[in-house]
Amino acid sequence: MIWVIATATCKELVRSRTFLVLILIFAVAVGLSRLIGWISSTDGDIVTTDVVFSLQSVFGVLVAVATGTVLMQSEIQQQTLYTILSRPLERWHFVVGKYLGLSAGLIIGQAAMLVIGLLYLAVTGAAVHGWLVLAGLLTTVEVLVMAAVSLCSTMLSTPLLAAVLSLIIYALGHAVHTLPELIHHLGHGQQLVVSVIASLIPDLGQFAYRNDAVYRTPLMPADLAVRLAYGGLWIALLVTVTVAVFRRRQL
Amino acid sequence: MISFSQVSFTYRGDWLQRVHALSQTTFAVPSGASYGFLGANGAGKSTCIKILLGLLQGHRGDIRLFGKPLGDVHLRRRLGYLPEQPFFYDNLAVGEYLVYLARLSGIGHGELQAACDRVCQLLDLGDLRKRKLRSFSKGMRQRFALAQAIIHQPDLLILDEPFSGLDPLWRARFKEVMDLERKRGATLFFSTHILSDVEDLCDHYAVIDHGVVLEQGRLGDLLGSAPLVLVGSGTPPDQARMLADGTWSIEFNDAERASRLASLPAGSSIVRLERHRIALEDYFVSRVRAFHAAGKHLAGASLRERQ
Repeated sequence: MIWVIATATCKELVRSRTFLVLILIFAVAVGLSRLIGWISSTDGDIVTTDVVFSLQSVFGVLVAVATGTVLMQSEIQQQTLYTILSRPLERWHFVVGKYLGLSAGLIIGQAAMLVIGLLYLAVTGAAVHGWLVLAGLLTTVEVLVMAAVSLCSTMLSTPLLAAVLSLIIYALGHAVHTLPELIHHLGHGQQLVVSVIASLIPDLGQFAYRNDAVYRTPLMPADLAVRLAYGGLWIALLVTVTVAVFRRRQL
Repeated sequence: MISFSQVSFTYRGDWLQRVHALSQTTFAVPSGASYGFLGANGAGKSTCIKILLGLLQGHRGDIRLFGKPLGDVHLRRRLGYLPEQPFFYDNLAVGEYLVYLARLSGIGHGELQAACDRVCQLLDLGDLRKRKLRSFSKGMRQRFALAQAIIHQPDLLILDEPFSGLDPLWRARFKEVMDLERKRGATLFFSTHILSDVEDLCDHYAVIDHGVVLEQGRLGDLLGSAPLVLVGSGTPPDQARMLADGTWSIEFNDAERASRLASLPAGSSIVRLERHRIALEDYFVSRVRAFHAAGKHLAGASLRERQ
């Protein structure tokens, strides 16, 4: 049941205009990234590579938030889920299937963006190496975490608020790892409060290997495994919360 | 097939507002019946259906589906549902969508093609299989909605306003398809406020208003309870009403039939004896108005009230 729902969701996603338009805009933005490389005072190729991989993260998250926040709400508001939930499946099958389908679509999108980015770098003469592919993989995990954040937040609020909340979490998620440096001057109690709040936000810096990959800084397998497990745990937690809320929802 | 016993349901509105949608609702749909569930907009028809499908939770009272308590999702394998407002994914083609929903209904890979072919032929969707549903008109969506509801040949077919948006030709075809489903052995449960459809298709009915089932029974009994009309010529009996063509008519009920016929005056002759036709629509309106006039919907817990 879960795979049937996931397959249909993935097809619906990759054929949607939002998805295709955002990938198109990504391709255009990648094409313009060389401009930043030219005006940069440092190594142009490295700056271009950095920009291309940052664009992959930003556009990947935009696709995840744009589609993740409307995925469940449109099912509820347009009542498309009535013909699905009237069939012999549990509500958690539906949520997990939707998330897996969304993830599959996002992975296809990330793969397309990675190929476009690497092709562009190769054509423009920048160095293309395996560490960049690994950076692309970790960016994909980041996007999947953000998809789970979007799905969960849309269960708790409206799609618009969920989109704003998701983007705030994306911004904060990249600042969380710098928190210890920022709060060392605070009192013990204040540090505790800030740390607790920060622990509710996924540390997206774990997936920002792209900055190191540009300089070919190696990533050890154990480190990679920890980062993947961290992403997987956040996804499992967020999808579980989504299921818990959706199970009680009156449709 | 379906039984609601003393079922109550309350929606949570904004803030502390509570809306009582069903109040002690009791009705039973016999197996093999074609059951018309009649009610005005907001009467509680869709709420009953949503509870039955597990879309609404937290009811009080006992509901049984196929003789078993609600809760076992596997019971829904035997159930087909046509929603009141059939919306579907825009970017899936008809064929893909049918396969998707058929697989969710538990149809195996080996039977998928035959099942899709069958409903496409029945509802003339064969040429549209590759078309995306976003390009469909309301009537075409309705056809697809019926196709997905019957694709797994369910034992119980729940139809929420099934004729909405259909032209006369497709209304007729839908009725033929429903007749076929009935002959196959399916039980039909219609929620509608179009009473002529109920007269055409149903053998049982229930009238619901403000979440209360006002009455239920066999449609034949209701229509058969209408008075008899005797039209005659010649010498009229007492209390006869003279008609424009020189004949006369009297009305009496079934219990009076023998005595009335025996007491016809000499010189009179019977032209025809027929049953007065009840217009279900008039009956429905009068029944609901009587309920309102009695103030029962205001006195009971069925009232949509603020607490």
